Order: sequence, then C-alpha cells, then structure tokens
Amino acid sequence: MSHKWGLVVDLDRCTGCEACVVACHAENNIPTVGKDQAAIGRTMQWIRVERTWEGDFPNPKVRFQPVLCQQCDAAPCEAVCPTYASYHTEEGLNGQAYNRCIGTRFCANACPYTVRSFNFYNPQWQKPLNLQLNPDVSVRSVGIMEKCTFCVQRIKSAEIQAEAEKRDLKDGEFTTACAQSCASKALVFGDLNDPHSEVSRLASSSRATKLLGELGTKPNVTYLERGAWQDANNG
Amino acid sequence: MQITAEQIEKDLLRPIFKTGRKYLVAVGLATSLVLAGMAAFGYQVYTGIGVWGINSPVFWAFDITNFVFWIGISHAGTLISAILRLTNATWRRPVTRCAEAITVFSLLIGGLIPLCHIGRPWLGYWMIPYPSQRGIWPNFRSPLEWDFFAIATYLIGSTTFLYLPAIPDFAAVRDAAKGLRKRIYSILSLGWQGTPRQWQRLEIAMHIMAIAIVPVAVSVHTIVSWDFAMTLIPMWHTTIFGPYFVVGAIFSGVAALILAMALLRRFLHLEEYLKPLHFNNLGKLLLTMSLLWFYCIFAEFLTTWYGNTPSEMAVFWENVRHNFAPLFWTMVVCNFVIPVPILAMKKLRTVTGTAIASCTIVIGMWIERFLIIVPALDHKFLPYSWGTYRPTLVEDILMASTFGFMTLLYLSFTKFVPMISVWEMKVGLQPRGGGILTTEAPGEKRHGLVLEGPLPTDVEE
Amino acid sequence: MERRNFIKISALTGVAATLDACRAPDKQLIRFIPEDNLIPGIAVWKPSLCTLCSAGCGLQVRVMQGDAEVVRHGKQGVIKMGLAKKLEGSPQNPVNAGKLCARGQAGLQVLYHPDRITKPIKRSGARGAGQFQVISWDDAVKELTSHLTALQASKSANVLAFLGRPLRGQRRELIEKFLKAFGAPPAVWYEPFDEAVLRQANFLSFGHAMLPTLDLARADYVISFGADFLGAWNSPVAQSIGYGEMRRGRPGRRGKFVQIEPRMSQTGANADEWIACKPGTEGVLALGIAHVILSQKLAPQSAGTPAASRAGSQIAGWSAGLPEFTPEAVEEQTGVSSAVMMRLAHEMTLSGSAAAVVGGAPLAQTNGLFNALAVNALESLVDAGRDEGPILGFTPEPPLSNAGEPAAPAQASFAGLNSFAQSLLDGKAGAPQMLMLYEANPIFTAPPATKIREAIAKIPTIVSFGSFIDETSAQADLILPDNAPLESWVDSVPESGSFQSVISLAPPAVSPLHETRPMTDLLLGVAQQLGGDLARVLPFTTFDAMLKAALLPLRAQSGSVTATTDDDFWQSVQTQGGWWSAPAAAGLKSAARKPAATPADKQAPTALTAPEFAGSAADFPFYFQPYVTPSFGDGSTANLPWMQELPDVLTTAMWSSWVEIHPRTGEKLGIQQGDLVEIASQAGSLRVPAVLSPGIAPDLLAMPVGQGHENFGRFASGHGANPLSILAPVVEHTTGSLAWAATRVKLARVGGPEQAKLVLFAGRMSGFPHEEEPR
Repeated sequence: MSHKWGLVVDLDRCTGCEACVVACHAENNIPTVGKDQAAIGRTMQWIRVERTWEGDFPNPKVRFQPVLCQQCDAAPCEAVCPTYASYHTEEGLNGQAYNRCIGTRFCANACPYTVRSFNFYNPQWQKPLNLQLNPDVSVRSVGIMEKCTFCVQRIKSAEIQAEAEKRDLKDGEFTTACAQSCASKALVFGDLNDPHSEVSRLASSSRATKLLGELGTKPNVTYLERGAWQDANNG
Repeated sequence: MQITAEQIEKDLLRPIFKTGRKYLVAVGLATSLVLAGMAAFGYQVYTGIGVWGINSPVFWAFDITNFVFWIGISHAGTLISAILRLTNATWRRPVTRCAEAITVFSLLIGGLIPLCHIGRPWLGYWMIPYPSQRGIWPNFRSPLEWDFFAIATYLIGSTTFLYLPAIPDFAAVRDAAKGLRKRIYSILSLGWQGTPRQWQRLEIAMHIMAIAIVPVAVSVHTIVSWDFAMTLIPMWHTTIFGPYFVVGAIFSGVAALILAMALLRRFLHLEEYLKPLHFNNLGKLLLTMSLLWFYCIFAEFLTTWYGNTPSEMAVFWENVRHNFAPLFWTMVVCNFVIPVPILAMKKLRTVTGTAIASCTIVIGMWIERFLIIVPALDHKFLPYSWGTYRPTLVEDILMASTFGFMTLLYLSFTKFVPMISVWEMKVGLQPRGGGILTTEAPGEKRHGLVLEGPLPTDVEE
Repeated sequence: MERRNFIKISALTGVAATLDACRAPDKQLIRFIPEDNLIPGIAVWKPSLCTLCSAGCGLQVRVMQGDAEVVRHGKQGVIKMGLAKKLEGSPQNPVNAGKLCARGQAGLQVLYHPDRITKPIKRSGARGAGQFQVISWDDAVKELTSHLTALQASKSANVLAFLGRPLRGQRRELIEKFLKAFGAPPAVWYEPFDEAVLRQANFLSFGHAMLPTLDLARADYVISFGADFLGAWNSPVAQSIGYGEMRRGRPGRRGKFVQIEPRMSQTGANADEWIACKPGTEGVLALGIAHVILSQKLAPQSAGTPAASRAGSQIAGWSAGLPEFTPEAVEEQTGVSSAVMMRLAHEMTLSGSAAAVVGGAPLAQTNGLFNALAVNALESLVDAGRDEGPILGFTPEPPLSNAGEPAAPAQASFAGLNSFAQSLLDGKAGAPQMLMLYEANPIFTAPPATKIREAIAKIPTIVSFGSFIDETSAQADLILPDNAPLESWVDSVPESGSFQSVISLAPPAVSPLHETRPMTDLLLGVAQQLGGDLARVLPFTTFDAMLKAALLPLRAQSGSVTATTDDDFWQSVQTQGGWWSAPAAAGLKSAARKPAATPADKQAPTALTAPEFAGSAADFPFYFQPYVTPSFGDGSTANLPWMQELPDVLTTAMWSSWVEIHPRTGEKLGIQQGDLVEIASQAGSLRVPAVLSPGIAPDLLAMPVGQGHENFGRFASGHGANPLSILAPVVEHTTGSLAWAATRVKLARVGGPEQAKLVLFAGRMSGFPHEEEPR
C-alpha cells in the first residue's frame, strides 16, 4: 500500500510554545542566521508559528497557527522550477532535491505560504556547534532553496525498517520532529491513505480546513479550527 | 541642401575610421562601469547572494527588474524595424540599424541577468537541455525555461535581422579599408559583390526575417510576463500581463531608441540623417504607446480595485498609498503625465522634446518593472510573512553596470558598423525611393548601386 | 634485506619523520579507538535529564558516533566519540511523557556551545577584566584545596560561602553536606523568580510548601491568575500536555480556560477569555468571585463545607462570607466588571471540574501572599475534583532517606541574597572570605539595588564551577569548568508536574568533549583530600556512587523499577532515566491536600492588603512588569543561538529585547513600533525598543527578562536591556521575596528604529514598520 503523508494541526490545542520550531532546527540542520541577517528577513524556519491579533484591549484575541510546507498535491512551487529541484515524490511529498537546485528562487516566489527558506550565504556553525548536526540530513550550501520535508529521513528509515521486517508501517510508529515535540499534541502526523490512522480520523473532523484552500493547491496539511467560544460552557 | 551618395558614405563610415577624444572618454566610463559590475558579481559569487538586499519573501527585486527592463528595451529595435520594413515606411531607413542594435545588446544584457541572479550561477547551464550525466531534462513546465527558449530564439533572430542588412555595408567598409580591417570585413561581408542575385536573396531573407521576428518579439515579452502571471501571487496572477508587458516593452523600447538616436545624432553629427521628422514620427508612436500603457495599467488596477479581493488589495494599497506610493506616482508621472503633453503637441514633439519624454519614460518604465515585482512579493497571502526590500550597493552597482555594458556595446558597435544603413540611405536617394531590385543602374560598381540625384522627397516637414 | 634498500628506507623514513615533525602542531592527528560502543551511522537513544529549568523533565538523547575536534593534553586532534544529535522528551518519564519544550531542546547547544570554558582557568588580570590563563587540573585542584585548607587551618571555615541556583536532588544534598561538614554556613540559593510566596501560600492553604501539580487533562474549567502555565511557569511541558487533553482530549467536552492578567502572556493568548485587572488586585478579584459563590451557595457539594476549608480559613472574613468583597466593591478595586465576576462564578461552579491557579506577577507584589491565599481559597471552593480528587494537587515526595518535604517553606531566596550582600558590604567579622559559585548569576539577575556586584567584589577568593563566563563568573579568580549536563551524572526530583513522585536520574549521555570535570566529583574529591568530617559524610569518590547509595533503598518501594538485586535495580534506573512511584490510585490525589491540623492554621487569617509600588503614580505613571520568557528563563539560556533566533511568539521579536506598550499609550507619547524608548524607575533607567501590543493594559509596560547581558559570550552579549536592572528592591511584605512587579516607571521616546534595532520576525524587515491598510 502506498502512503500519503499528512499532518493535522489542531489550533485548539496549539499553545504557541514553538517547541516544534526548535525541534525542526535540530532535526533538519537548519542554521541560525544571526541578528543582522534576521533584521533583513533572512531567518530560516521550516515551520513557524504565526500570530494574529484581533481586536484591542481589553478584549484582544490572539490566534497561533503553525505554518509549514503544506505538501500540496497541486503545488505551485513544483511546476515553476526549471531544474526539477522541486518535484513531486511518489508518496505525494513536495520534494526538494538540493543538488539540483540552482537557486532561481522562483519556487519561493510562487509559494503562496512563504514557507521556503533560502541559503543566502553558506550556513555557519561555529565550532563545536557543528557537532550537533544530524548526519541523516544533508547540510545545504549557499544559493540553495530548502523547506520542510515532512522529515523525509524519518519516513524513509521507518519504511526501510518495516520492509526489512517484512511488515506494514504501523500508525504512530514514527512521526516528524515537530509532531514529536508537540506537548499539547496539536501536531499529528501520519498516513492519510490509512483510514484508521489518527491523522485520517482528525482530517475528517468537522473543524478541518485548509490554509488558503481556495487557491486549489490541495494541501496535505489540515488545520482544525479553534473551538467556538460557546463550546466551552457545554460541560 | 543636397546629399550625395559619396557624402553619405563618407559621413556614415567616418566613425569607423576616426576615433575622437569624447568617444574614448565615453568608452572609458562605460568600461569602468562594466568592470565595477564584474567585480560586484565576483564578490557576490564569492560571498553568496546574500550581499544583495533580497530576502524572504522578496526573493526577486533589482535582478528581475533589470531583466524585464532590458528585455523590454529590446523591443525597440527589431519589432519596430520589422514592422516599418513590412509596411514599407520609407522614413525608417536611418532608424533601423540603431534600433536593431539596441535589441541585440539589450537582449544580451537581459539574458545575462538570470544567469547572474541565481543562487549558484556556476550551474546556470543546467537550464540548457542537453544529454547530461544528470540524466534529466529541464522542466519544460517552468516559465523560466520558456524564457530561456524565448530569449535564445529572439536573440538569434534579431542578431540575424541585424546582420543581414548590414552585409552590403560591411562590403562598403571592406572596400574602403586596408590591412587587418579589410580582412575582417571581408569575412563579415560574406563575399558580398552586390550582384542582382545577391540583392534578391537579401531582400527575400529580410522579408522572411521581418515577418518571423514580429511574433517572436511579441511572444518573448508575453513569456517574460508569464514568469509572474503563471503564479498564484496576488497582482501577478492576471491575464492582462501578456499584452501589458508587450505594450510596456515597446513603450520603453521606443523611448530607448529615441534616446539612442538623439545621442547618436549629437555625437556622430548625423543631423543630416536623423532628422526632426524621425523624432516626430517616433514621438507619435511613443504617444500611442504611452496611452496604451496607461490603458493597461488602468485596466489592471481598476479591475483589482473593483474586485476588492483582500489579498490583491494589500498589494494595491502598498502601491498606491503605502511604502511604494512615492515610486508608484513617480512612475505615473514619468510614463504618462510628462510625456503625453509633450508628445501630443506638435510644437513640443521636437528632437529635444521627444528626448526628454523618452528619458522620463525609460526611468518610469524601470520603476514600473520594479513595482510589478516587489510589492506583490512582499505582500503575499499571509500577512505574517510580509516584508519589504531595500537594495544594497552591490545591486546598485550591478544595475549601473548593465547601463554601462549597454553603452559599451553600443559604442563598440559604432566602431564596427555604420550606425545608419549606408546602402539603404542611398536607396532613399532614388526619386522613386522604392525597392532595391528595381534600381539597377549602369554605373554600378561595388555595392550594386550608384545613386545620384536629389534628396528623397518623401521626407516631409 | 639488501644494504642499499635498507639505507634507502631509513633515509626515507628519516625524511618523513623530519617532515612530520615540521608540521604545525594543530595539524597533528590524534585518533583513538572509539570509546563508545557505537556502530557508525546507527543512532542510540540514551536517557538524560533537562537542567535548563527546575521542572526536571526527562530526556532521551540521540547519540551517534562522529568525529570531534578536541584538545587533549594540549594537543589538538580528532577523535571518534558519541555525539549528541537531538534531545527529545523521555517517553517513560511521568513529568514530560516524551515531550520537551523549546528551551529544553536547545540544551544541545549548551553542550556544543563555542563559548564553553574548556579547561580550568585562573584570573591573570584585574578582577572582572576578563583575563584568564589556562592552568592544569592538578594545579587547579591544588589551588582550591589549599584555599579550603587555609580556611580550615585558620579556624574560619564559616567564611566559606556557596552561592548557587536552587536545586532539587542529590547535587543539593552533596553541596549541603559538604558545607555543613566543612563548617560553613548553608548555601545561598538564589533565583530571581523563586516562588517563595507561592510555596508559603500553598503551605498555609494546603499544607504543602510546594508548587502545585495541575491535572489539567481532567479540568473542565480553569481560571488562572497570572500563571503562565503554558509558557515558563512551574512545569510547562506537563501542563501543556494536560492543556491539550483539556481542550480536545475528551470527545464532546472542551474545557474552558480564563486568564486574568494585565499583560497578555503566551498562556493568556490561548485563553477563551482574557481579563485584565489592575496589577496587584488579583486576590481581590478571586475573593469577589468567591463572594458570589458563597453568597449564592454555588459551591459544589463535594468540595466540602466552604467555611471549614483550610485554605479559606486563611482569609479574614471567609466564614462570614467575605462581606467586604461584594462584586461592586471588587469592581472598583480591580477594574473588572461585576457582571463578569458573577458570570465566572456561575460558569466555574456549573462546570464539572474547575480549578483556580495563581502564579507569576500577582505573587510578585508587596501583597503577593494575600493574592496567592485568596486564589487558593477560591480554588478550594470550586475544585471539587469529582472522583479523582482535585485538579490542583501536590506531588508526593519520593521516599528517599535524605529527601522529604520541607516542614516549612524555605527562606525567600531574595532575602537570603540580600543578607549575604549586606554582610559583605557591612564588612563585619565573619563575612564571607571565599565564595563558591555554581549556576547562579546574581550580578545579572538581582536588581543592582542589592549592591550584589559591589558585595561580591569584596570577597577575596571566588571559585566558579561555571561552564561559561557570565557577569558573575567573570569576577572569579579560579574557574573549574563543570561538565555539561549531558556529559554528567545528573539527577533531579521534580517538585511538580506529575502525581507520581519522580526521581529523574541519568548517567552521562556522552563523554566530555572538553577537559572539564564534574563539579560533583570535584567536591567529593576535595572532601576526601580534606578528610575528617568531610570524608566521613561524603564517603564517595564519584557522584554516581553517591546517587546509587541514595537510590538503592527505593528497591523495596513499589515503583517503576522492579529488580531482585541492587545491581539490576541500579542498571534499570539508569536505562529508564530515573525512578518513579506507581501511578497514584483514584482518590489518592485529593489526599494530597492536608486537612486543617497543622500549626500553620493557628496563624491569624490574612486580611486584605493593598499592593504598594515603588515610585509615585505622579512621577512614574506606569506599572512595570518584567516577565519570564520560555526562551530565556532568568537569562541563563540567552547565549543559545536557537533561543535568540526563536521569535517571541507574541511580538515575534528575535535577538532583541523590547518593551510592550499599548498603542494608545504609544500614540499619546509619540512612540511608534520599533522606536527607542527610555524606561526610568527610582532605581535606574534603560533603553529598549518599543513594541506596540493590543494585549497590554494602557497603564502597564512589560518587558521580557533574559536579554541585556553585558558579558555572556558571543550570542548573548550586547542584545537589548535587562529589566531586572531597574527594579527597586521592594519585597513581598510577609516572605521577603523580591516583588519584581511592584516598581513603577516612566516612559519617553528617545530615538527612532535606527537606534532601537528591533528585529521582528513578522513583517520580516525591521526598520520598515508596516502600516496597516485603511479599513
């Protein structure tokens, strides 16, 4: 059975703690760029927690929303890449082949979600910070676009393990780094092709929406809306 | 005043054989700009493209602005020249060569920019489809790939289009020159002897090229516009971009042509050839394009405003009211408010008048390209990742160097090729002013034509 | 072999050897046999423990073999060793159940931080000038022991002082035993946000001088008075796990959550209802709600007789139904409408399981204890807890011989630091002559009004065990760098977070990268060398032996490890990353609250006290609230690049500090987003960029703690300002704890964005404040 990887983000659970952001940095060797670069918009985050204010004191409301690559089925980034660095994998991921990337940055412009990070310089890990680098993930060099891979290294190693043991992958056997770290379980990762997986169950929730779904990008990330204010009082 | 064929040949070939002080100074300036650009590019490659001001979400800015701008300028020449040739507008004769040269050079520059702008310029050749170890073709669904083919086709086409009518002139230079120069021009003139057969073939070839180059030119800038229109990005994703870009391209191209002609007229002393008539006629064309341009931008912004989609309105307000409003209104003034009155009034449609209008239009059209790209990018769908952009010195230098490069190429060109087609001017001396095939004269020696008689009377003024 | 060949070969070897010797020393290669039983490319998960806050979460460390550039015996080279690649929560640990917060995950960067002190160093220049020379461990230990021996010899052991960050577990035990046996006074445990007020209040209200454990997963209604329980307060990971379950873990039941605070915290941002009350009036508001519940008899039956509640009896007028706290009277004091109070009272009591929690700024007022007692009284009124006991309870202390719950709350750490500083400044006999410094940085975290910098400067000998140069350890004469936590035997006894008693404990996950030594082993070694009492009470050569001795008695207890032999038990504890008791049975949790039977009850009930502030409202028109961020804590993790580049989730600021100002206030004072402003209190002033935020009361300014380091390595130094530096030394009246939210300030614009250099992630480009589109 082929897999179709998906992620559900329950906005009612998300607390905005950003553990996912650090987990992603650690897992995927995402560099920090420093104050000067951050000041001119060069921060690299494969997942970010967006914050939206609504209203004003004394009744301000805040919404937190983790935004990562939506792994679209109809991805605007893939078509525009002249070298197939952005491409669609067999399991429906929006792949990014770093060695094919020549850095036109067209994909990042075409992405409606602005979730792609570009290496404006060669990343720096001041020794011995380089020792923390995850050997399972390649370190990207200058001029290369990168983005969330749904921790493809974890997917692959779990698949290989299952194949070696001649069995199917079990739901929850592995997860992405962001979902792993999420204390309130706002992020749930799994196989949408498996009707019994938790992610399938949640994705069919009545609260499910897609980010900018009207664009027709067919994201594989599903957002579950926050509970209505009145819900709280129903015991 | 009478101009003889000898005079024409003498006047028009003079820049090739004589080099003035001013010329050398101009070449020096242009070269230093080019060298500065090369140094800036070297620094960029060595350090990383982070030396530019681009950021997330504004991944394109000066680079693609310059790209679109120069590709736009390239529509000056070949397209105009081809249309005028096809419509047999005889006043075109002194204009075509300088126009076609602009096309070729600005295409060269425009085509180089994507190579410089990518994150890993040393891998730019991966855009080319060739059987490689990578075992993978370029992605033909990508508008950038379309650009590659469109620009390559247009460059080959317009180079040919420039070259063909220059063959008789190369032969003229060959005959006037000695030594190494003679040898070079012998090669360039491809053994031109001016036989009727050669004239006939040239005529046919030029007709074919003129017909073929028009759709190519239109498609090139349409395809450039598709770099933007094919995405979902608000204020990019619009059907008007194709025609709008073509209009803008011709608009800026004609302006650039008028500017170039005014400069050539002044510095190569071609007052006898590039006459107020030409500026007047091109001025009318420029006026038309200005109105068309305004129509396009009006249609685009009106539909956006009327539709009132939040994501598009964010970009809309960014342009007309917020960060980019000063630039936006400068653009409107430069492209419409200043040029239209100048060009609409016959009194002002002089050499100076059209040159001033062209000058503002070139500036305005550069801003227009910038405003198409940057405000849309920095205000994409999700407000959380909105940003803005500020260019760095490296980008400024690179931009300046594109102008320097253009100047340098153009200046060098005047050294090698007569900037006004000698033989076509001579054809123009014929009272009939018609096609070349009918004008075979007995005294023909080198270039197939001995042309005598008064100045063409089709010049009205 | 032929003669010729022999000559050739010897010549070649000779040349090679000569050339080899000519190479620069840094090119020399040391290759050891791998010390870890690791297969290259295969990751192993090893247990460890997070020490970056006091929650004590269990870790599992992803260890893989790799090449590390190291220095050994003065030679640079590369060795193969196990390297930590990622930190995740330990799935077995009852506190964090496999989860880990952002700060905890950045513990990796503590280990591999480029600013770590890699060898023992000794001051070579003037004190604080930052000039140190590397010395050998032998010399370093000799120096330490000679100082201690000298003190012993001169019969002035009492002038040895130890200043550290509060610890729970055997490390603390070790230090305390050492000091006691040496004859020194008890250690000064200092942290700026020490929760002494809450411990005191919980002791009075519930009989436990501890932080509460919240079983949010069962809660239907939570009202939190300033407690940033999803951010940086108490045990955030455990609380976040419970919060997720409260929201969506029970089909058809979604707990409601109300946050009361004048500055919206990350926790407040998640609330269904966010209510701002005047700073310091949280207790009044709680009693206003309690008044409605009492007067309308809304309290659930299972909560027992309200009048008899131990927590209630701490409040004057409780048994009479809090006549002074009518909604109207409370509205006037707090600014919260009486209708809201009534609604909250009804909602809370109608919901199944409700809880009221207090934490953070309400406790950091001069009337902090009153606020805490008032909320506790409300909690005892509404938290019926249904079958499984109250939502708010207390973690049972593990049955260790040398642990156990404190019979009475410890002294507030601010009071301890103050008297420490005062004794030095007074210069009386018996003032500390030698200081041991461990994981505390009071020069940064204590308000300058304590004069701690001047006080420390008076100490002749300062020995630090720190891994980094920070503001305080920069004053040290001798620095004996500790191993990073991931390189050490670590243990902790989490005070809260789980209803099981937990001892987190783990062996080193990786070998030391640098030439550092664990502080614990060092102290044990010194104790052995000094002999006498010290050697007797600390009869261990290494810390793991001490840990083992402490834990072995637990084998008899029912808990997470069942083993037949001591060695098996010890082995299992290590692989599991600790020991924890069996899950508490139903009904056990409610027993965690003590009934009214201890001497504390005899204390007179606390009456309403109004908060007092340093500075008059006329001269200093704004309240000022420093707050702890999840990224930086008290500032000790500000040197981690991941934390610096993690956008503050509400303001999206990175690499900066800032002050939050309401837009109306900003408009009044001509302050725009990103402007540089000056904040001045009685005690000092600072300059910081302004962030306009709708989530703050217009008369309040709030500023994150953690930035403004002057001397804390390449990633922390020079960013922003330290709000603690302008705090007046006001204390909570009863406990003497620092009332860090009781300073008033004034505000003025002093510059534009160019000077302020605020970096915001949202909007990406700083210095270009984005204008709102017209509505």
